[in-house]
Amino acid sequence: MNELAQMHEIINQVDSPHQLTDAARRLREAASEKDFTPQRVLEIFEQWAAALDDREVRDIPGVTFLRLWLRRGTLEPILIRELGPEWLAGEWRQDGRARLRAFPLGVVGHWPAGNIEIQAVLSLTCALLGGNTCMVRVPSGLVNPTRRMMEALATIDKSEFLASRIFLASFEHSRIDLHEAIARSVDGAMIWGGEEAVSQVRALPFPHWARVVVFGPRLSVAAMDAAAWADKNESASWCRRIARDVWQFEQQACSSPQALFVERDGAADPSGFVENLKLAFEEENQAHPRGEIEPALTSAICRTRASWLLEDLGNRALFPQSADWTILLGTGTEIPQPTQGKTLSVLVVDDLLEAIAKFDGSVQTLGLGVKDASKEEAIAEAAGRHGVDRVVRLGQMHVFSSPWDGMDLVRPMMRMIRHVKSYD
Amino acid sequence: MSQIAELRVSEIEQFIAKLLDSPPYSLDPQERHDALLSLFKQELEYACEHSPHFANYVRHWPVRLAAAKTIAELPYLPVSVFKKNPPLSLVPASEIKRTLTSSSTSGQVPSRVVLDAATSRRMTKGVIAIIRDFIGPARRPYLVVDTKENLGRQTELGARGAAIQALGSFATEMVACLSTDAQGEPSLDIDKLLAFAEKWKQADVLVYGFTYVLWTQLVRPLQQRGITLGMSKVHVLHSGGWKRLEQQAVTKDIFVRDVAAVFGCAPDRIIDYYGMVENVGVVYPDCVRGYKHVPAFAEVMIRDPLTLAPVKPGKQGMVQVCSVLPTSFPGFLLLTDDIGEIVGEDGCACGRRGTYFRFLRRVPKVELRGCGNLETTRQRRNGTSA
Repeated sequence: MNELAQMHEIINQVDSPHQLTDAARRLREAASEKDFTPQRVLEIFEQWAAALDDREVRDIPGVTFLRLWLRRGTLEPILIRELGPEWLAGEWRQDGRARLRAFPLGVVGHWPAGNIEIQAVLSLTCALLGGNTCMVRVPSGLVNPTRRMMEALATIDKSEFLASRIFLASFEHSRIDLHEAIARSVDGAMIWGGEEAVSQVRALPFPHWARVVVFGPRLSVAAMDAAAWADKNESASWCRRIARDVWQFEQQACSSPQALFVERDGAADPSGFVENLKLAFEEENQAHPRGEIEPALTSAICRTRASWLLEDLGNRALFPQSADWTILLGTGTEIPQPTQGKTLSVLVVDDLLEAIAKFDGSVQTLGLGVKDASKEEAIAEAAGRHGVDRVVRLGQMHVFSSPWDGMDLVRPMMRMIRHVKSYD
Repeated sequence: MSQIAELRVSEIEQFIAKLLDSPPYSLDPQERHDALLSLFKQELEYACEHSPHFANYVRHWPVRLAAAKTIAELPYLPVSVFKKNPPLSLVPASEIKRTLTSSSTSGQVPSRVVLDAATSRRMTKGVIAIIRDFIGPARRPYLVVDTKENLGRQTELGARGAAIQALGSFATEMVACLSTDAQGEPSLDIDKLLAFAEKWKQADVLVYGFTYVLWTQLVRPLQQRGITLGMSKVHVLHSGGWKRLEQQAVTKDIFVRDVAAVFGCAPDRIIDYYGMVENVGVVYPDCVRGYKHVPAFAEVMIRDPLTLAPVKPGKQGMVQVCSVLPTSFPGFLLLTDDIGEIVGEDGCACGRRGTYFRFLRRVPKVELRGCGNLETTRQRRNGTSA
C-alpha cells in the first residue's frame, strides 16, 4: 500500500512497528505544515456534530453525548476556562513581566477503553483542540463504530485538515511491539480503561518527556432525597432519567450508576417509586433492546439476583425472565459489588450523607435528584471530600465535560510557554 | 413437621421412588415432562416451607409457581450460589450426613452441597440406575485410579471421592492403584496394578479415574514402559474437565485411543461422563453415538443467554440441569456455567429415549475491560478474590 493510500485509510490495520513510526513522522509533518487555529477546529467540530445526526451513525451508543460535546457552545467555555481567552484568540497572556501561551505537546497517543463506542473519538478531540496530532490504538470492539464516526468527519473535512492530524491503528491487543512503537513515537498519552489495560499501557516505554494522563477505572452512583423520589408528580420523570443513565454503555462506563441511594421518607414505602422505576426500565428496554450478551454476564446477572434474595429476607427484587434488566431493593449504606448489565441496586438509607461518607475514591460521578437545595449543597461538599469528581443531575451522568475524573481534558496535553522579552 | 408437610414429603418420596425404579431412558418425553413438572412444583413448595430465604427468591420470580406451565418457567438457581458458606440447606444441621464439595480450580471457591440420609440414598440409586444402563448390573472388581485416601467414607467429600464412592455399589472388591510418595505426590503403584490386571484379565472389570489423573498417572507411565494390561472386558469410566489435557494437546480421540490401547480393550469401553456435585445423583455418560442422555428423574434444557428462554435443538446456549433427587438443598433446577446444545428430544440411534445433548465448553470468563470495571481494584482492596 503506498503512502497516499495509507493516509486515506480511516482505520489502518497495522502489523509492523515501521507503519507506526512512519505514521508518527507524517503526523509531525502535518502538524507543522497546517495552519492551526482553535477557531478552525471548533468550526469543523460543529459541522461534525451535525454530520453525526445521520441515521448511519445516530444509533451508535453515546453519539448523542458526542454531538453535544462537539458543539462550539460546549467547547469554547472549556477552552477559555482551561487555557484562557487569549489562547482562543491566538494571543499570549501577560503574566507580570513575562507572557504565557499554551502550545501543543506534539503527537499524542490514545488508548481508549474497549467498552465505550465513542471513546476513541472523545479522546482524540481533547488532544486535537490543543493543536496536537493523534495516534490512536482502536480496540477491536470499537473499530466499526469509530470508522462510522470518522466517515462522518470525512464528509465535512474535505481538505483533510483534521484527517491529516489523525492516525487510527487497529491491531491485536497482545502485540506489545506495536503498543511500544506507538509509545516511543509520542510526546503525550491519554489512557482510558480498566485497571489491567491501564497498567499495561502505563508500563510502555514512553520518552522521558512524554506527559501521560490516565483515566482509570471508576464507578458511579445515584442518590435521591425523599422529597424528590416521593413526589408522585415527578417520580416517573426521575425514573426515566435514571433508566437512561443505566442503559447507556450497557452500564459498563465509569459514569454509569451501579447503585441508587434513596433517603427514607418517614414511613413511606419506596415500592411505588420502584414500580415506576420498573416501568421506566421496561420502556427503555423496549426502545433500546440489547442485541447480544456475553454468557458470563448473563451468569453474573442471575447470580446477583439469586444472591440478593437469598441473603436477606428484607431484600426485594424486580426482574423479567430475560437478563435484560434487574432492580434490587434493600437497605444499606455500602455500594454493592457492581454487576453491570443494567443491574441497579436501590438502597434505602436514613441519611444520604451516611452513604457518601463511605465513598472511598472509587466513585467518579454522583448523579443527584435532590429537591432540598441546602441538602444538595451539603451533599456536593461531602462528595467532593470523599473522592467524587463529578456531581450532576440524574439523566446527565454521561455528559462528557471538563474536568473529567477531576482533571482538565485539553490542558494536560499542552505545554505552557513562558516568554520574558530580551529587551524592555 | 405439620401433617400437611409430612404428607407432602411422603408424596414427593413416592414420586421420586417411582421415577428411580423405572428404567432411566424409557419414558415418553411428554409424559416425563408432565410428571417432572408436577414433582418439581411440589419440591419447590417444600423447599419454600423449609427455607424462608429460598421462599424469598421464589416469591420474586417473574412467573408465579402455580401459574408455571412448563419446567422452563420454574425458578432456577445459578449454580454459583452453592459457593456460599455455610451452604444452602433445607434441613436442620443435625440431619446433615455429608457435605459434597466441587473440584474447583486453584484460587476458586468450591461449591458445597449438604446431603441428608434420604438425598444421599437417592444419589446412590440415581447413579447406579444410570451407570447400570451403560455397563450392566453385575458387580465386579473395581480399580480406582486414585489414592486409597479417597476410597473411605468421609463427612466432607470432594468431587473425586464422591465419584469413586458412587460407583462402589458395582464393586466386589475395590483397589486403588496410586500411592502417595514421600513428597505427598501421587504415583502409580505398578506392582499393585499389574497384580490386579493379571488376576482379573478375563473378568468384567470396572475402572474409574478423573480424566486428567487417568492420563497422567496411569496411561502415560504405562506407555513409557511399553506395558499393555490386556483387560479386554474392562469398562473405563472417567470424568472431570478436559482443560488441562487440552493444554497438552490431548484431544478426546487421542485420549480414547490411548486409554483403550493401554487396557487392551475396544474404544467403546472408554466412557466419559459429565457430573457436578450440585446435580446430585445424575451423571451423563457418553452413549456410543457420543451424546449425553437425560434420565427419567432429571431434565436438561439449553437457555439463550440473551432471553434466557429455552432454545430449540441445534442451537447453543447455557445449560440448565434439573434433578428431582435432592431434598436436603434446593438443587432442583440449576443454571450452570456451561455451554451446550440439545441434539434431539427423542430417538437417539443408541436406543435410549428422551432428550440427548452435548456439552461444548465452559462459559468463558469476561475479559476485564472498560473504564467502569473496578472488580480487580475493589477485590484487592477488600482482600477477596472470586
